Amino acid sequence: MPGLSSTADSAAVPFDPYELKDVVGGTIKDPYPAMQALRRISPVHSGPIDLGEGADIGDPDKPAPVTVFGYDEVVAVLRDGETYSSTIYEEVMGMVMGRTILQMDEPEHRSIRTLVASSFRSKMLERWEEDLVARVVNELIDTFIDQGRADLVRSVTFNFPVQVIARILGLPREDYPMFQRWTLELTSVAANWDRGVAASAALRDYFADVMEERRAHPGDDLISDLVRTEVEGRHLDDEEIFSFLRLLLPAGVETTYRATGSMLFGLLNDRDQFDALYNDRSLFPQAFEETIRWEPPVCVILRRATREAQLAGVTIEKGADLALLIGAANRDERKYPEPDRYNMFREQRQHVGFGFGVHVCLGMHLARMEARIAINTLLDRLGRFTLDPDAPPPHIEGMAFRSPLSLPVVFSPGG
Amino acid sequence: MADAGTDDALEVKIDWDCCMGSGNCVFWAPETFDLSDDGHAVVVDAAATDEGRLRSAAQGCPVGAITLWRAGAEIPLEEHT
Repeated sequence: MPGLSSTADSAAVPFDPYELKDVVGGTIKDPYPAMQALRRISPVHSGPIDLGEGADIGDPDKPAPVTVFGYDEVVAVLRDGETYSSTIYEEVMGMVMGRTILQMDEPEHRSIRTLVASSFRSKMLERWEEDLVARVVNELIDTFIDQGRADLVRSVTFNFPVQVIARILGLPREDYPMFQRWTLELTSVAANWDRGVAASAALRDYFADVMEERRAHPGDDLISDLVRTEVEGRHLDDEEIFSFLRLLLPAGVETTYRATGSMLFGLLNDRDQFDALYNDRSLFPQAFEETIRWEPPVCVILRRATREAQLAGVTIEKGADLALLIGAANRDERKYPEPDRYNMFREQRQHVGFGFGVHVCLGMHLARMEARIAINTLLDRLGRFTLDPDAPPPHIEGMAFRSPLSLPVVFSPGG
Repeated sequence: MADAGTDDALEVKIDWDCCMGSGNCVFWAPETFDLSDDGHAVVVDAAATDEGRLRSAAQGCPVGAITLWRAGAEIPLEEHT
C-alpha cells in the first residue's frame, strides 16, 4: 500500500480558492476590451504591451517579446511547431513538473503522447462516468443540499476534479486529503515556490510506491494503464510516468474546476439559457464549447521562435517569446459575431480554448465528460437554482487563468 | 446546404502521417469519424453528417489532417470573413 510516510498530515486541509487568486490568476475582471482594442490595431504586437497590469519591459538584450491576439494568427502559430517551439515550457514548468510533453517538440512529443493518449479517448472515459464522476459530485452535493444555499465554487467545482483524478489514478480513499493538498501546493507553486517544489518531490515518492504496487497488481486505473502501455515496443520509463502524473494535476484539476465554474456563471446570469439547458440536456455539448470559447480557463499559451518569421506583417526575431492570448483569439470579432456574449445557440465554430495543433488538450474529452456529469447532476438535484440575491454578485476574474471565485446560489431541491 | 445529389458524393480523406488522434473530429461528427485501436481517425461513413458539420470537423482538426473532396477536387476549407 502506498504509505502516508511523508510530512503531510492526513486531516482534511481547508484550502481557500481565494489564496490562489492574486498570484496565479491575476485580479483583472475584464481584460477583453483592452485586448480587443490592441487587436484592432494589429492581431500581432511586437514589444511590451500593457493590458492593465503594467507593461513588462523585459530584457532589452533579448529578442522583443510578441503577443498574438488574432484567431487566425494563433492557429498559424500553433500549427507550426517547427517555427514556434514548446521548449519555452522547460523554463516555466520544467523545474517543478519534470520533463513533460508540454515542453517537447516533434517527433519526441508524439512518441510520448501516443503512449498516454489511449487512456484519454472518449470511449475509454465511459468507464469512469457514472461510478466515478457522478459519485464524486453526488457526495459533494450531499454535504449541503439540506441547507438550501451554497457557494458552488467552494462546495463543488473547486473540489470535484481533484477527487476525480484521485479516483482515476486508483488512489486509496484515505490518501485523498493528502493528495489534494499536494495537488494544490503544486498548482499554486507561483504563490509559494518552496512549497510547490516540496510537493512535487513528495508526489514523486508517493507515485513511486503506487507504481510498484500497480506493476505487481494491475487494476482498472490510469497508473496501471501507464505502466502497461506500449507502442511499437516503446514503454514509458519511471521518470516519464512521474512527469506525466504531475502534469495531470495542473492540467486536469485546475482547468476543469475553472471551466465548470465559468459555465455555471454563464448560465446563472442568463435564465433563458439556464432553462434551455435544464429542459434539454442534449444542449450540453454546445453550451460547454461556448464556455470554453467565451471564458477559456487557460488564457495564455507560450511558444518560442526557432527562426525569424513573419506573422500578420510583423517580424518575429529568432528566439523571441510569444504569448498567444487564447481568450482574445476566441473573441476575435472577425470570427465570432458578438464575441463577448455567452450564447450557447451561436453558430458552432472551432475555438482555441483547448489549444490547437499537436499539443491540443489531451484531456479535452475528459473535461467535457466531467463538466457534463457535474452540471447535469447539479441540475438534477438542485433544480432551477439561482444566484443568491443576498450575496454580492459573483464575477469572473484573472489574466492567465480565469474563472469565478464564488458562485453563491439558493435552491429548493427538486423545484 | 448538403448536396442531396448522388452524383457528386463528398469524400473525406485523413492524412494518417499527420493525424495524432485528438478525437476532435469524432466530437464534431461522431456518425462519420471514429478512432482506430492505434489511435488514428478513420472515416466510417462520409455521408452520415451534413456538409456544414463536416467542414467544421475538417477546419477544426488541430493538425489539419482532414480534407474534403468532391469529384476529385479538394474543397477549400479556409473561410475569410
